[in-house]
Amino acid sequence: MSREEPIWERADYSKVPYQLYHDPEIYRREQERIFRGPAWSVLGLEAEIPNPGDYRIAYAGDLPIVFNRDRDGRINAFVNRCAHRGSEVVREPRGNVKDFTCIYHAWCYSAQGDLVGVPFVRGVRGQGGMPADFRMADHGLRTLRVATFNGLIFGTFHEAAEPLEQYLGSLMVENVGEILARPIRLLGYQRQRIHANWKMYLENVRDAYHASLLHEFNRTFGLSRLTQTSGGYMDERHRHAMLFQFKGSDAEDAARKAYSDGQVQRGEYMTLRDESLVAAITENRTGVSTRIISIFPNAVVHQIANCLGLRRVRTRGPAELEIEFVLFGYQDDDEAMTAHRINQANMVGPAGLISMEDGEALERVQRATRPDPSGAGIIEMGGKGPLMNLDTRVNEMPVRGFWSYYSELMGIEPEGAQR
Amino acid sequence: MKVDPSVKERIERLIVDSAMFIDRDELDAWIACFEQEARYVVLPRENRELDLPVGIIHCENRARLEDRIVCLRHANKYNPHYDRHIVSLPRILALDGDVASVETNFMVVQTDKTGESRLFCAGVYEDRIRLGDEGARFVERIAVVDTFAVPTLMATPV
Repeated sequence: MSREEPIWERADYSKVPYQLYHDPEIYRREQERIFRGPAWSVLGLEAEIPNPGDYRIAYAGDLPIVFNRDRDGRINAFVNRCAHRGSEVVREPRGNVKDFTCIYHAWCYSAQGDLVGVPFVRGVRGQGGMPADFRMADHGLRTLRVATFNGLIFGTFHEAAEPLEQYLGSLMVENVGEILARPIRLLGYQRQRIHANWKMYLENVRDAYHASLLHEFNRTFGLSRLTQTSGGYMDERHRHAMLFQFKGSDAEDAARKAYSDGQVQRGEYMTLRDESLVAAITENRTGVSTRIISIFPNAVVHQIANCLGLRRVRTRGPAELEIEFVLFGYQDDDEAMTAHRINQANMVGPAGLISMEDGEALERVQRATRPDPSGAGIIEMGGKGPLMNLDTRVNEMPVRGFWSYYSELMGIEPEGAQR
Repeated sequence: MKVDPSVKERIERLIVDSAMFIDRDELDAWIACFEQEARYVVLPRENRELDLPVGIIHCENRARLEDRIVCLRHANKYNPHYDRHIVSLPRILALDGDVASVETNFMVVQTDKTGESRLFCAGVYEDRIRLGDEGARFVERIAVVDTFAVPTLMATPV
């Protein structure tokens, strides 16, 4: 990032320079200023570590983090790196243990990350061992501050990070809170590795415009159409976002005509032999049928009809990301509802009928912008200038919101930046 | 287990043919390898180990499997590619009436339209196959995938 010229051409983030997706120096700085900075990263769900001793690996950017539940039921998180020589301490992605022992020299840590055992610390028969000034208390694992909200676990490296609920803002508190208001039951994991920069995915989940254009399944079965009652909302700081719509709020014929007039629909509309895949059973107060809720910097909570899930995004260098979909239902679901949710999980994940396209679209952007990253993408759907909530999905405003908070943390805000 | 060579041959033919149908993009012929009530699931190995039910693809009957293929043909957009299945010899675990329980290792190599190949997926088919009068058909196929961190996306079934 050794350049004199400012990164942003426009203060409202309506032109995104392609270099932001490719520059290794920018990637390094993101890890430091965002994932190890004042943001709260989503680590996982309390339901993933229900019992004392349970642990799981998650990622803050590309940094492996262990989060666990200790004997007192408290949740802890630390970087998976031994204080001695830097080896990974935990080697399995999940498990249940009394303590954490590194295989290399058997240094042992408590659930809280404190160093509790160093073999032969005082040597043997008066020879060897650590120097007299070695103190175990100085060599714990690097820990994160942990906070939870309705069973969702967050971690941050910053002592000065704002309180979690303030960071989330009322839109997130209300909607994530509502989806996670009842005890959940895990239904399974799906993982997808996309060979594209991580920010493209976080733009994608804030991009209300593409959902019915790229994902034809959405359009055909009325799960998401630009003709519906819908919108893209953000929190006060515009860092998080929620795209939503109400299935059934547009007339079938008028919607089809709109897409046909727009030259989008070619050929015949398909039909399903089994319509249960697209049936939405109302479970919430407002009747909203889809909510894609993006939590800065690394997570999404989604409700697509009755498919519920958390998506964790792990960065794997400037040119690769992994999405881990954690699908869940509620503990009091009956057998039929559980089966319905399992069926609707067909809509998401690497083979998702309304998500597989994202893998293809993002890789195409990555490939086409890498050879000459001097250009910029346009984000003007919904208008330029101030960032605001709009009651339409013909709208890319939340993508600009993402860049606004991103740039603040990165220290690359242009003069007169929109916040 | 010891089985009649003709039974073994019918099982092997179904497994090899069904793999070849996917590689040739003859998905209607692939679907015809399943009974009407047949179940087809692509299950991440981590979900199997955790005893969690969600699949990458999860079709409880052939109607739903047909819907998947209709979507693939008419709605989904995905990476243009060729598939190449390599299957092991099937291991016949049990024969219960006319239904055989069979395990077969598989790998899928994907090749993009520039001619670059990569391993897409490794796993094991856990099949229940009915040896009926009209031919051998899947009653259930669970493809347990070791490669559960799916590269790019999974459009065509494995």
